[in-house]
Amino acid sequence: MHLPDVQDLLQATVTGGLLGGLFALTALGLSLVVGVMRLVNLVHGELVVLGAYIAFWVTGNVGGDPLVMLPVVALVAAALGAPVQRLLLQPLARHGTEAPLLTTFALSVVAQNLLILGFTGNTRSIDRDYTRSLVHLGSVTVPTIYLISFAISAVVSLAVHLLVTRSAFGRRLRAASEDPVAASVVGVRVGGLHTITYAMAAAVAAVGGALLGMCFSFTPTSGIEYLLTGFTVVVLGGLGSVKGTFVAGVALGLVESWGAVVMGDGYRLFVGLLVLLVFLTVRPQGLFGRTA
Amino acid sequence: MSLVESRPAAGPARPAPRPGVRAAAPAVLSLLALLVIGMALPYLVGPYQQEVGYRVVQLAALATAWNLMAGYGGLVSLGSAAFIGIGAYTAAETGNNYGWPLVACIAAGAVVAALFSVVVSPAMFRLRGLYFTIGTLALAEALRLLMINIGTFGGASGIVLRTPALEVYQLFWWALVIALLATVVVLVVLATPASLSLRSVRDDEDVAKQMGVFTFRTKLWAFATASAVMGLVGGLQATKLGVIEPYGSFGISWSVDIVAVAIIGGLGTRCGPWVGALFYVVLGELLRDYPEVHTAITGIVLVLVIRFAPSGIWGTAAAVVMERRHG
Amino acid sequence: MYRPVHARLVRAGVATALAVALTACGGGPKTDSGSNNGDTIVIGASIPLSGPLAGFGSFQKWGYQHAVDEVNAAGGIEIDGEKKKVELKLLDDKTDPNVVSSNTQTLISKDDVDALLGSCTPALVTAGAVVADRAKVPFVTGCSPLTAFTSVQDWTYAWDIFFLEPEIAALPFQTLAESGQKTNGKVAILHDNGPDGQVVGGQVWPAIADQSGFDVVANVEFPTDNTDFSAAVQKAKDSGADVLLVDAVTPQAVSIRKQMETAGYHPKFIQMEKGAEPVQFAEALGDLANGVTVGAYWDPSFDYPGAAELATAFEKETGQTQSQHIADSYTAAKVLLDAIAAAGSTDKEKINAAIGETDGDYPVGPVKFADDHTAKLAVAEVQWQDGSTVVVSPADQATGDLLFPAS
Repeated sequence: MHLPDVQDLLQATVTGGLLGGLFALTALGLSLVVGVMRLVNLVHGELVVLGAYIAFWVTGNVGGDPLVMLPVVALVAAALGAPVQRLLLQPLARHGTEAPLLTTFALSVVAQNLLILGFTGNTRSIDRDYTRSLVHLGSVTVPTIYLISFAISAVVSLAVHLLVTRSAFGRRLRAASEDPVAASVVGVRVGGLHTITYAMAAAVAAVGGALLGMCFSFTPTSGIEYLLTGFTVVVLGGLGSVKGTFVAGVALGLVESWGAVVMGDGYRLFVGLLVLLVFLTVRPQGLFGRTA
Repeated sequence: MSLVESRPAAGPARPAPRPGVRAAAPAVLSLLALLVIGMALPYLVGPYQQEVGYRVVQLAALATAWNLMAGYGGLVSLGSAAFIGIGAYTAAETGNNYGWPLVACIAAGAVVAALFSVVVSPAMFRLRGLYFTIGTLALAEALRLLMINIGTFGGASGIVLRTPALEVYQLFWWALVIALLATVVVLVVLATPASLSLRSVRDDEDVAKQMGVFTFRTKLWAFATASAVMGLVGGLQATKLGVIEPYGSFGISWSVDIVAVAIIGGLGTRCGPWVGALFYVVLGELLRDYPEVHTAITGIVLVLVIRFAPSGIWGTAAAVVMERRHG
Repeated sequence: MYRPVHARLVRAGVATALAVALTACGGGPKTDSGSNNGDTIVIGASIPLSGPLAGFGSFQKWGYQHAVDEVNAAGGIEIDGEKKKVELKLLDDKTDPNVVSSNTQTLISKDDVDALLGSCTPALVTAGAVVADRAKVPFVTGCSPLTAFTSVQDWTYAWDIFFLEPEIAALPFQTLAESGQKTNGKVAILHDNGPDGQVVGGQVWPAIADQSGFDVVANVEFPTDNTDFSAAVQKAKDSGADVLLVDAVTPQAVSIRKQMETAGYHPKFIQMEKGAEPVQFAEALGDLANGVTVGAYWDPSFDYPGAAELATAFEKETGQTQSQHIADSYTAAKVLLDAIAAAGSTDKEKINAAIGETDGDYPVGPVKFADDHTAKLAVAEVQWQDGSTVVVSPADQATGDLLFPAS
């Protein structure tokens, strides 16, 4: 450990904050699923990685720019997520939290292996001009792709936030998550809402994964890290709060980057987990959640 | 909401188990039979079956411990790996540095694992339901990262055990003893009023507290007991491997295998862990000849079993039998 | 309702009596798996076909199978005067040492293997070697750097064919000296904290750097599953080092190279040990891979018997680009099969003794085991240029010139 100089700290702050926006995007799906359906979605990490692979495959075989293809990634992921929820998870909803949890874990194992069979275990990365270039913001250098990712994350988060807080769909969603029984009594089709939520979560996670695939590298087993980061952000930000998730993501990005500058990159994830544990004990409802 | 819901009152109720020796007899005899058969097994079958038997019994022990915490206590943990790893490293260090016999080494593993659970419990027990689940996952992963990064216990390279190796049948016997011990402990707990406290905490902790149950103490006993058993298993596994390192000893696959076995068997049932362990290991062995797809197929089988038998194999079988008798 | 207690008692009693009776007849607990029925020679291997190391596993699978297929095509191996075919039994260890241990045990006890081949990376190899050594079953492996292998214990039945960490660590300095290129003498080191990462990055590189007159201005360590290297790259950049030495696996090496670019860090010499060797590195990075150097223990251009043919066969059969791991795994299997042939028997002691006598030229190089059961492979420096590897050092094996500066 050593005291970093101001320039390093400034650099870490800017890049960490920007990257945090991307963390927020990848965690948004988990926040929705945990908040609305109380589901510990252990396959979330694979949904993120799946997004990277979909982007990789589509741009490699169909062509096009990965950023332009993001909506395609989102649609494919949603199309995969919806039947999974409807056919495998929905029927188990009555049986408590453990059965769906185990199903999502089993699905993550299946997903990992299907990815290995389909793409081999080789490391992949999505490479374009803008994934290599950098931008100067004053004395700080920032990877262009971080700026792009942050912008996309902000836009998508805002869109989801508006959807949840301002639309009729959002009202039904909030009703269903607060009190599913009461909601169904007044005519809200809770089951259908859950399926749509899960599909949305998969879509958003996949978009985040595609962007991560442009920033870093990925393999079929890269998912677990994004699962843990996702949980950290979700707990930090408060369940089901989109605004909270975004702020928490940025905060986590900052904290992890500072931790890395002071203690080394190896402690990045450790610092994140520490933050998670601290928040769970001190303020489990997160920064923006209401006390349960 | 928990997997094991109270049964509806329709139909003639099953007579409540009376405490006392007569009621305990079937359980005790089953365990005795298991012990005798287990002891005899290595004389009848070769090292392959002994190895498979070891894995079945090891998972049964772990799942029994986890079941106490999760099935009966509602503490659904994804952090079992932490306690298994602690048990492994403690046994390795005490064996290497103090030359203790195996019993002492794995017992030390249990003690340290239990102590760790006590230390983290004030923080962990503030978390309810799925927050607790997430918290245990984070705890286990944080511990794994710590062990990798800090060189004191060998870092990523781990520790080589200098204690004498055991034959497969000896490992099997040890694992069997641990599993039976765990089962006995669980049965004893279930026969005492403590089990009511535990179940009341699982069903509704706030109400239980208001009714006078010492919820923290109750949860702690379950958590510490389960952790101790996992520490025992970890210590024995270290002896089996001969070399331990953080990825193998603190790996998340432990935590999830245990959950899979407990749920497949039947959460909150006494026989569930054993049935689940047997199913899980046998499934793995049946798929042995298809190395490239066996993990995928295992996953698919798990998904299907849970989808169509959410109470687990034993849980569903028991329910079917009950219906036949009373329906 | 409860079954009457006494019925249960009776059943338990019968079971007990039966068990005891059988026990008394059986002698001691069974520890011996016996030997297989002898129709075929059975070779077992637990390799990572799923999990993070699935990439290595697929190369090993090909290498092992190719050696076995070759021997079978020639009619098999002569055992006690009779030609027998070889059967390869493969199991997936899911990149988990616990599974390696269990798999190795069941290969010995269920499949009655005559000998074993190893997994990949020290943790997995060691897990299998320990079981094999205890069970006195010959075990030949590659894919475990020699110091990591010998530091575990003295081996009786386990044998390793791979490179020595200090030799591969010396390559960048050797290459720079040979090329005569000038740098500012500053070295930055980024390494993972696995067993060989710590040896190479933590000990050998700093030592050789010192001896060669270089100044180590940064040395950063990270765990093998880290994905974001901003802090490490920033530190290296701030140090102003012209020479960057990295020891990390491929996913990390790819991320580091990308992050170097987006941080604007352009050192003149970039060594990426381990990670830059496989072709997936170049595929993932495109032209960013050009200029990166890495130590290799094999290249199809090396003047060893069958080297080029092995690469061609692999590419033809699988449609993928060759990797040095096909040579190592193929050779390990071939050495084992040759030893069995030399022993002319499936007796494990004889096979083991024969392995120890190995002294021949194989596609991966000359193989002769030292007293510590290791066979050292010579190493060379290769560099990515235009999407393929060029040997740049030592001079007598070079197929091209060093591209300098690297970025």
